[in-house]
Amino acid sequence: MIKINNLTKVYKLGKKKMMELKTTNPEKIAVNGLSLETREGEIFGLLGPNGAGKTTTLRCVATLLKPTDGDVSVCGFDTVKQGADVRENICFLTNEIKLDTNFTADYMFKFFGELHGMTPEAIEKRQEELFTQFGINEFKDKKIEELSTGMKQKAAIAVSLVHDPKVVIFDEPTSGLDIITARVVTDYLKTLKEQGKTVIISTHIMSEAEKLCDRIAVIINGQKACEGTLPEILESTGADDLEEAFFRLYKQYNPEN
Amino acid sequence: MKGAGIIIRKELKRVFGDRKLVFSLFILPAILMIGIYSLMGNLIKSMESDITEHVSEVYVVNADQGFKQTAKEMKYEEGANVTYLTDAEYASQKADLEDKVLNGNAELIVVFDKDFENTVAAYTKAGDATPAVNVFFNDSENYSSQAYSVFSGVLSSYRTNLLAQRLGDLDQLNVFTQNDQRIVKEAKANNRFISMMLPYLITMLLFAGAMSVGVDAIAGEKERGTLASMLLTPVSRDAIVVGKLVSMAILSSLSAIVYAVSMIVAMSVMGSTMGELAENGFGNVSFGPTQCLMLLAIMLVMVYLYVAIIGLLAVLAKDTKTASTYISPVYIVVIIAGMLTMFNSGKAIPTTRYAIPIYGNALAIADLCSNELTSVNFLASIGGTLLLAIIITVAVGRAFNSEKIMFNA
Repeated sequence: MIKINNLTKVYKLGKKKMMELKTTNPEKIAVNGLSLETREGEIFGLLGPNGAGKTTTLRCVATLLKPTDGDVSVCGFDTVKQGADVRENICFLTNEIKLDTNFTADYMFKFFGELHGMTPEAIEKRQEELFTQFGINEFKDKKIEELSTGMKQKAAIAVSLVHDPKVVIFDEPTSGLDIITARVVTDYLKTLKEQGKTVIISTHIMSEAEKLCDRIAVIINGQKACEGTLPEILESTGADDLEEAFFRLYKQYNPEN
Repeated sequence: MKGAGIIIRKELKRVFGDRKLVFSLFILPAILMIGIYSLMGNLIKSMESDITEHVSEVYVVNADQGFKQTAKEMKYEEGANVTYLTDAEYASQKADLEDKVLNGNAELIVVFDKDFENTVAAYTKAGDATPAVNVFFNDSENYSSQAYSVFSGVLSSYRTNLLAQRLGDLDQLNVFTQNDQRIVKEAKANNRFISMMLPYLITMLLFAGAMSVGVDAIAGEKERGTLASMLLTPVSRDAIVVGKLVSMAILSSLSAIVYAVSMIVAMSVMGSTMGELAENGFGNVSFGPTQCLMLLAIMLVMVYLYVAIIGLLAVLAKDTKTASTYISPVYIVVIIAGMLTMFNSGKAIPTTRYAIPIYGNALAIADLCSNELTSVNFLASIGGTLLLAIIITVAVGRAFNSEKIMFNA
């Protein structure tokens, strides 16, 4: 489970970045006082537009970034002070983090298994399970660069799950995938949930959030605009569907638009 | 440091599992090096033999019988097509002949003064007239230069003959004899060429090797997003840094060995075709076991420093292209540091200079070749480089822990 307590992340902008963003403020607040808690056996969704701070939040959870203020703990471990313990318990998937394409899925699986300190037998057993689940066995000995996008994504997911983590963090899980591969992925997220894992995903696709997530936090401008199950969100915003609810919240946080 | 070993194994597999990479990193440089040097050797050799075999076009004006006799005795006309002209003939063709020499169609015009041998014979006391011989040649033409030097030999014999006629006994010209005795350390004399080239080559080639493997291992992985997946494992970032740097060091040492061996093979190929380098004893390096260990130690700290520098620049760069841009100026500095040791007058160098990383190492290797490296200078050269390498390694570790550098955040 993940506990985010008053998380704030401020980026210091270089001169070039400031020019790009047409701002004179050398600081950009990506996440602003965000708090939330996920439970075991649920899929939690961070829903928000591009640039809302979803990826930054997830990267803080995954120990890749250090919070400017506030703290994050995963399975009781602090992401800053006990980073290695946190990483033992999580897997983090995103489109930007990839497998080395010069190797086979088979080798990458074993490599990351070893980096997680697993025994060869444990890796073998786990590989059997996951490669069958994702249908990787037929292309496991091909170099990853030769695989299609869908195959690459499946291989990346399998490899990231090698150490059977308790918490699965997934930044935009279906982005760039065809509907069939996307379905394999979302189905597997449900399987993970049934196994009692904590799953946290970010998305800007309303239908995905509606269908997949047990609870949703709407993030706008780095702040939590609303949190709850789908019916709770609809009730508190007085909307008929999630899209409508999202727009109402968005207007509320950006009155000038 | 748990995990560093796993990363090293993966990095080595990355290179050795890819036949194209093995070819371009290890085999191609060897082929190129040996190919280029043997080609150079052959070209130089064929150029030289072409020049010596060329039959030169020589015009000799007012030659007396004595000269013709000397030329005949020396078989001069076998390598030169000599045309003898009279004064009158020469006067009418002068501009034409000079034009020929200028354009490389003729090699030499030699003009003896009129009554050359008679004037020589008429000499009895100081103040009497001495005749002149005017030699016209074009030293921007290889053929003409060669013809000039061959002809000078003939003239010198001619002079000796005339002197013998005048004096009878040539020995009275010998006032004294000069006897030269060499007092040298054989190691130094044998290895002059090596001690000039080797430090430079080692300094440069080790860097080239590290450069070709280091950029992709760090900047490439960062660019492709594969480094981040390693940062997500429980392995500490320091272990990742160590794994990366050690594997880079192994690969670049291998690549340096390939370069060095092919260089030596190439040089001896070139040397044997030219017959010159062989004389300077390229195959004649006689390193004792202590020298070998010292050379190994110097090379190891150099490799360590190089991979640390390249590692740091590669991690600071956002992609491989930027990394190469950052590294080029360093490469130039390294080449200059190596070259500085090539031209050493032999003045004693203070120990402090040996402590300058890279330059000091090159100095130490040069001394090692001539068997002159003192243990103080050796330690200074190791120490200075090691210290800088450690400082840079710490910086690489810092960079790996910086989210701004790793994630552009």
